[in-house]
Amino acid sequence: MQVSLTITHVSIRVINTHTKKQQRKEFTMKFNKVFTSVAALVAVASLAACGGSSGRGESSASSEKGFAADAAIGVSLPWLGTQNWKEAETMFEDQLSEAGFKPLIQAADNKVPQQQQQIEAMIEQGAKVIVVGPIDGTQLGSVLGKAKEAGVAVIGYDRLIENTDGIDAVVQFGSIKTGELQGQALLDGLAEKKGSGPYNIELFGGGPADPNAPNFFKGAMTVLQPKIDDGTLTVVSGQTDFTQAATPDWDNSKAQQRMDSLLSGNYSDKKIDGVLSPNDGIARAIITACEQAGQDIPVVSGLDAENESVTWIWEGKQWSTIAKPTDALVAKSVELIKVLQTGEELPAADDKADNGVIDVPLYELDPVVVTKANEKEVFADDAERMALLK
Amino acid sequence: MTSSVDKHDNILEMQGITKEFTGVRALDKVTLEVKKAEVHAICGENGAGKSTLMKVLSGVYPYGTYSGDIVFAGKVAKFNTIKESEKCGIVIIHQELALIPELSIAENIFLGNELLSSGLIDWNKTETLTRDLLARVGLELDPSTPIKNLGVGQQQLVEIAKALSKNVSLLILDEPTSALNEEDSENLLNLMRSLREKGITCIMISHKLNEIAEIADSITVIRDGKTVDHMSVADGRIEEDAIIRAMVGRPLDNRYPIHEPKIGKVIFEVKDWTVEDPNVPGRLLSDNISFKVKAGEIVGFAGLMGAGRTEMARSLFGRNYGIYKHGSISIKGSKVVLHSVSEAIRKGLAYVPEDRKLLGLNLLDSIEKTTVSANLRKILSNGLIDFSKEHSVAEKYRKSLKIKTPAVDVGVATLSGGNQQKVVLSKWMFPNPDVLILDEPTRGIDVGAKFEIYKLVQQLADEGKAVIFISSELPEILGMTDRIYTLCEGRLTGELNTKQADQESIMRLMTTTNEV
Amino acid sequence: MKYLKQVLGNDLRQLPMVVALLVLLIGFHIISGGRMLTSSNMQNLISGNAYVLILAIGMLMVIVIGQIDLSVGSVAGFVAMVVAITARNFNLPWFVAVFLGLALGVLIGSWQGFWLSKMGIPGFISTLAGMMIFRGAVIWLSGSISVPAPKELQFFGAGYLPEWGPAWTNMNNSTLLLGLLALGFFVWSQWNGYQREKQAIYGTRPEMWPMLVRAIGGGLVIAYVTWLFGSGRPGTSFPIPGLVLVALIVIYHMVTERTRFGRHVYAVGGNRQAAALSGVNVSRTYFTVMANMSFLAALAGILFLGRATAAGPGDGTNWELDAISAVFIGGAAVSGGVGTIMATMVGGVLIAVLNSGLMLMGVGADRTQVIKGLVLLLAVAVDAFNKQQGRPSIIGKIMESFHKK
Repeated sequence: MQVSLTITHVSIRVINTHTKKQQRKEFTMKFNKVFTSVAALVAVASLAACGGSSGRGESSASSEKGFAADAAIGVSLPWLGTQNWKEAETMFEDQLSEAGFKPLIQAADNKVPQQQQQIEAMIEQGAKVIVVGPIDGTQLGSVLGKAKEAGVAVIGYDRLIENTDGIDAVVQFGSIKTGELQGQALLDGLAEKKGSGPYNIELFGGGPADPNAPNFFKGAMTVLQPKIDDGTLTVVSGQTDFTQAATPDWDNSKAQQRMDSLLSGNYSDKKIDGVLSPNDGIARAIITACEQAGQDIPVVSGLDAENESVTWIWEGKQWSTIAKPTDALVAKSVELIKVLQTGEELPAADDKADNGVIDVPLYELDPVVVTKANEKEVFADDAERMALLK
Repeated sequence: MTSSVDKHDNILEMQGITKEFTGVRALDKVTLEVKKAEVHAICGENGAGKSTLMKVLSGVYPYGTYSGDIVFAGKVAKFNTIKESEKCGIVIIHQELALIPELSIAENIFLGNELLSSGLIDWNKTETLTRDLLARVGLELDPSTPIKNLGVGQQQLVEIAKALSKNVSLLILDEPTSALNEEDSENLLNLMRSLREKGITCIMISHKLNEIAEIADSITVIRDGKTVDHMSVADGRIEEDAIIRAMVGRPLDNRYPIHEPKIGKVIFEVKDWTVEDPNVPGRLLSDNISFKVKAGEIVGFAGLMGAGRTEMARSLFGRNYGIYKHGSISIKGSKVVLHSVSEAIRKGLAYVPEDRKLLGLNLLDSIEKTTVSANLRKILSNGLIDFSKEHSVAEKYRKSLKIKTPAVDVGVATLSGGNQQKVVLSKWMFPNPDVLILDEPTRGIDVGAKFEIYKLVQQLADEGKAVIFISSELPEILGMTDRIYTLCEGRLTGELNTKQADQESIMRLMTTTNEV
Repeated sequence: MKYLKQVLGNDLRQLPMVVALLVLLIGFHIISGGRMLTSSNMQNLISGNAYVLILAIGMLMVIVIGQIDLSVGSVAGFVAMVVAITARNFNLPWFVAVFLGLALGVLIGSWQGFWLSKMGIPGFISTLAGMMIFRGAVIWLSGSISVPAPKELQFFGAGYLPEWGPAWTNMNNSTLLLGLLALGFFVWSQWNGYQREKQAIYGTRPEMWPMLVRAIGGGLVIAYVTWLFGSGRPGTSFPIPGLVLVALIVIYHMVTERTRFGRHVYAVGGNRQAAALSGVNVSRTYFTVMANMSFLAALAGILFLGRATAAGPGDGTNWELDAISAVFIGGAAVSGGVGTIMATMVGGVLIAVLNSGLMLMGVGADRTQVIKGLVLLLAVAVDAFNKQQGRPSIIGKIMESFHKK
């Protein structure tokens, strides 16, 4: 800091002294002046270089337990493009402030390099714990290694973080579990709304570049596959592989295009009874496509409990969604942070997962399936969503 | 013609026009008086201020950025944009034609002035009007022909038709014939005569003094931003030499330097050179052409537009253009096969292209980078470019060619045409070629600079190089060369000793299709 | 102004950018309470942006020849994935996998170069196709699942130079040694240049003071940078990806400025036809530049792989845009023929510093994006304004006001 300021100071003087006048006579004098200031700078810089070496020699991880009660806590989120992440941002801000911490919250626009840099910036800013909602849980190895070296605790948020020993705990809703719930909700809905089988269904997956998407699909298929095998369910298009069902970039419009062509290609003389949808945006796209094709609205699953889908479920257009109550996840994270602050051991984990390097303690929360039947119950404490249910 | 017009009936009076660019006075109290329905020529060396004056007149430089008065058709004119001056009937046709190649004649003529009926373009009316306009300029073409299918001469006429569509009363032509062949030029001059009869005034900026002498009713000469002379037919004072004297400010006894050639052995020989047009299969750009050039000799190639001079030269230069069919090249007695330009350069050939800005220069480069660009190997040390060698090479040519520039690390774009051409010449002198092909080396260059280029060409010949000199201007061919070949439609139609040739004999051979 | 020119040379176009960069660095340093110009932040800045800057080197050359390459992000992602998969599935040693990856880069580049130079398909189109092809290929190949990279690659993507020698230097001695070497070379080259100028026949006798100012000023900058990077936490140094980047900058600076090939690149971009008539093999130049771009993309992808420790299906998304922004902020022309490696690096570092500073200030990705967009526009606008005829450049105006005082 000191050195850099001195440099600017001098360079400004160089410009000044050299541009004020052009007369050659004065040149020697000026040159002497510049030379003196430069020499002074050399002295300052070398002094600073010798004496002021900032971090060098200090041990990185502090041996004392815990940290200050008003320490900075970093929260690195993948992006703010969907409601759940935006909510997470707000809730972390509120809950961390309330607990007396100084929140540093950043979202990375779904770009891995950006998230890496943001985490590094948080370490710079002196965060004691960093909560990381990874874009890709496998790609943060070297930055989290830095966090570990700097003595920063890391809590994975919502997704497992792999390939690193720089992770202390993960708080999540199991993504396979979520997929199972989606599949089960679809089966329940078919039984309730479409009479007895067999049923015609189609399958949709999430973005192929998102490592969660195959897990959702896998979970759902563990429930659905037996029913396909025994003939209760018929996937009319025959597209049952994840790669066939995937929706590039989780893009709703691409899902709608796929549904349009499935309907026109396979359902000109058939009814569609149900569709497995990996999230709410895609669910609504599917429902819209069916409506436009003149089909009765099929049973469609969802995820995230977005406001619009909460309304659609209330109106009976979408069958189900899955609430992964963000506040529960945030509350659990903050709870762990508080434990870390005191310097005590973390409570016993619900499960452990091998992330390729170490066994990471998992703190798992159960997601909640929401249908019209239990909607008021689930959102009883959520004033904003309750307002939608009228 | 002029006698029938009242002497004081001026359509345009520009008085005391002064225009400055940061620190440079481009125009200094210029006066221009143009009578109604005359052809008025403006002469001056490049950079004298002709174009600046026309930009002031047409509103490119808006009112207020210059001082002085403009009175047009009896009213004080204060144009802020070209649009305003066009509304008053002043239309300027630039050297670089401003037509859009992919659009039709009709679309081009009414571009920006589309004829509308209830908000949509009225194509019927557009076509009828275009036919009338084309007839007025003597073009018999379908209005829906795309511009790209037209020759340069025809495009020029379309530009004039476009001007006529705007009810032009003062037509400004900037170097209208510089890109035209003799026949098209003659057509254009005839058209200007007929426009004059219909009461349209023309201002013409031209370097071609013979044309000016032929057509102009009066002439204003500008030198260094000042009006230096005014002549008119009525005073009986128009002759080329007088114009030149006024332009350069000194009497010019010889337009071509006197030169005693030192001719040696044949060092460049071409046999049965045959090249096909890359765009029109079957058409031959060069048809069994054979010729020889001796060391120290300047050989002219004359031909009308489309005779295939440039195409032949470029195909000889490492097959840069056209599809090679057969034929051979010998340099200094040994046969060479030149597959690429770099090979041609290595074997001692150099080609200075006709279009400086399009083919000769990278306008983004500095003078020094341009100078060495055809022979980078010579300035390498340990495989890397040696900047001090580069610099000293450029300095050497700056001095020997008297290139007017403060330094050689400035961009070539800052130079005038003549100096740019000198840089191009130095670029081709640096590889030290045995055979130098000069394609229109003095196009768009003012009289003073031309003379210097001529001297340089002769000096190169005296160093023992074979020089091929391609030019559209017959006086230049006659003044500069030792021997002349004529081309017509890709064939060699004649060979003349310059001492026994005159313009008529060359022209006859240029227009015959019989082979020698 | 005149003295400034004597010190910095006649070409002052980069000066506004460099000044802006310094202002940003110091401004952020102050605003963030001294967190900007720290060893660890600078180390992060370099290793976190090395891959974009490497892409920008290649992109500069592509843009100079008047083309654009939209596929670099996808190519980088694809190559990284191939390296990770071959290393894991075929148990190849990491260096074999890396070599294969680089060879694959050259192969892909030859493919892009072929369409441009032999078939005459504009780079915009052939690389747009490449962008889709290789993005699809990454997802296809990986089955949307990230693949861990060989551990050794971390050294290239996020590693540091070794510690050795006496501790009293209080610095990483590898960094110190490199710094001293750079310092020595810089001072020597200044002195050498001065001697050569003195010997040259042309021009006026050179004065000694501009050389001294340059040597001392530049030397101080090098000393400061060495100290900045060398005095971090033990075990850290000037980062390895930064070293790779510096090596590439030096090589490509020489290639573009001082080789025949470099001249040909600018000649083709400035006036293709004139270049052809000067003996430049235009299609070979096109081919080489495009092939080189994909090679550098492969290298960037592999470095990123080392940093990320795993290859993901989304790697490289939009990297081409970051590289292109760096090139244009560095003053290159869309129409080709103009731009330098050094200016491009300044442009790239400017974006990186902006990113880092805004993050330290806690500005979100949304607003950062807005600011970056405005900076791009501003930088190009300043450049366009400078180029307009008849107007003194902005820098000229600033300097003029210094004069009058």
